[in-house]
Amino acid sequence: MRIVLAHFKDQTLQHLRAPGYLLPTLAMPGLFYFLFEGQDTDVRLVTFLMASIAMWAILGVAFFQFGVGIAEERATAWERFLRTLPLSAGQRLGGRVLSAGLFAAVAAAVVIALAHLINPVSVAADRWLPWIAALLAGGVAMALAGIAIGYWVSPRAATALATLAWLLLAYLGGLWETPGELPGWAAEVSRYLPTRLWGEVTWAAVQGQATSLSDWLGLAAWAVGFAVLAGWGYRRDEGASYR
Amino acid sequence: MTADIRDPQPVAELRGIHKRYGTVEALRGVDLQLQPGELVALLGPNGAGKTTAVSILLGQRRPDAGSARLFGRDPTLPAARRPVGVTLQESGFPDNLTVREVVDLVRVHYAEPAPTRELLDRFGLTEVAGRRAGGLSGGQTRRLAVALAFAGRPQAVVLDEPTTGLDVEARHRLWEVVRAFVADGGAVLLTTHYLEEAQALASRVVVIAGGQVIAQGSVDDITARTGLSRVHLQAPALPELPGVSHIEATNGSYTLYTADPDGLVRALALRGVAFSGLRVERASLEEAFLHLTGGTS
Repeated sequence: MRIVLAHFKDQTLQHLRAPGYLLPTLAMPGLFYFLFEGQDTDVRLVTFLMASIAMWAILGVAFFQFGVGIAEERATAWERFLRTLPLSAGQRLGGRVLSAGLFAAVAAAVVIALAHLINPVSVAADRWLPWIAALLAGGVAMALAGIAIGYWVSPRAATALATLAWLLLAYLGGLWETPGELPGWAAEVSRYLPTRLWGEVTWAAVQGQATSLSDWLGLAAWAVGFAVLAGWGYRRDEGASYR
Repeated sequence: MTADIRDPQPVAELRGIHKRYGTVEALRGVDLQLQPGELVALLGPNGAGKTTAVSILLGQRRPDAGSARLFGRDPTLPAARRPVGVTLQESGFPDNLTVREVVDLVRVHYAEPAPTRELLDRFGLTEVAGRRAGGLSGGQTRRLAVALAFAGRPQAVVLDEPTTGLDVEARHRLWEVVRAFVADGGAVLLTTHYLEEAQALASRVVVIAGGQVIAQGSVDDITARTGLSRVHLQAPALPELPGVSHIEATNGSYTLYTADPDGLVRALALRGVAFSGLRVERASLEEAFLHLTGGTS
């Protein structure tokens, strides 16, 4: 546990000192919410968008801390050295997951706190727990997608791919505006995307509506797919460096 | 440093290791043993298989055949690596951590690590302790990489080309640290390009070439076994001579490498070669090494 905590601290310090990481995770989602939703007074709408932008913030942590982070580290001399320490892959992953969990919680909290400050948002007391559960479930699925990016994409391409996926999946998933406002082709694609499915279960949780089983199943299917890709990528990388 | 000399168990052992990368046979049946209190230098030309052997010994790669053991345990188990400190051939550190943070992170993995301040001091890193580890000079980076091998008060260290990129003074300081470690009962496996380093430190030399151990013994053994001497002379021409392994010739000036310099000089005299300026020297380890590996260093 001491070792996991040390790697948690190491990951957290490194990311706190990297502006390229803090910008998309902690700064941009809050800024987006402020710029685009700062004037709205419709309680339903501003609450809906608070939930959407909080998801986008968590998506940033998943893609940049897992995706870009793993891609940049895995080929380094430092990573090879860490593998010679009495350190298991599980302990290292544990530190990374704890650190990403902390960043994801802070990134979402920034958006939620800001929304409460500037807008008449309203989440019923009994909706917070389901909401957090929905954020967590989607966060795990997206973290698996991030890990898959980290092991399949070269360090150079990872930042570009993660940024593109982070923006496109947010827009097409209906996280920037309500999905109803998407143009025709985008609305068609949107229904199948993991961010949209995550959005559906989260919005339902926040608004106290019944979640549809098909949305949960769709999200779970994506999570399984990402997990397979991530596991396959990890093995491939291990095979390449443990030849 | 608590290695028990009476314990017959070797610190590290490779037995019959085979390793193939695609069509290249990197290792073809390598045996290697490291005993407590011993400093073994692993020598060999680039591509000989040194780094592959080291990485199998440290559980970083799996052999196709044969077995690797650290203190009798499978090195792919993290716990088996606990008594062993490592400096890899290439070193690099996270850009966003300070030198002290890197040292502290590594120390966490051990039950009784060396104090941070003492480590920094011993490796001349005290002044840069607060600097970002990714922004160190080449020499400082290398010193930090070696310092980390000693962070956990290891019983053995594996140093893959530890002094590459160090200036002469830093190299000699590192040698002192390594000697003190061995004098304390520690075991060291060292790979190096600097043969003077093996000559200065090693209690045993293992020469590896073409994926096989081709010679091993003390530094003197290795030189004596090849029995290699250099015979310099000037002569208008040389006849066919017995026992000469290699000849270098420039404008009537010859250097002959031979296992039997006395016999060679007798042969020269018997054949009436009009030689002059005769000098006979014992070959250095480097030349012994070149001879053993077929001059492909």
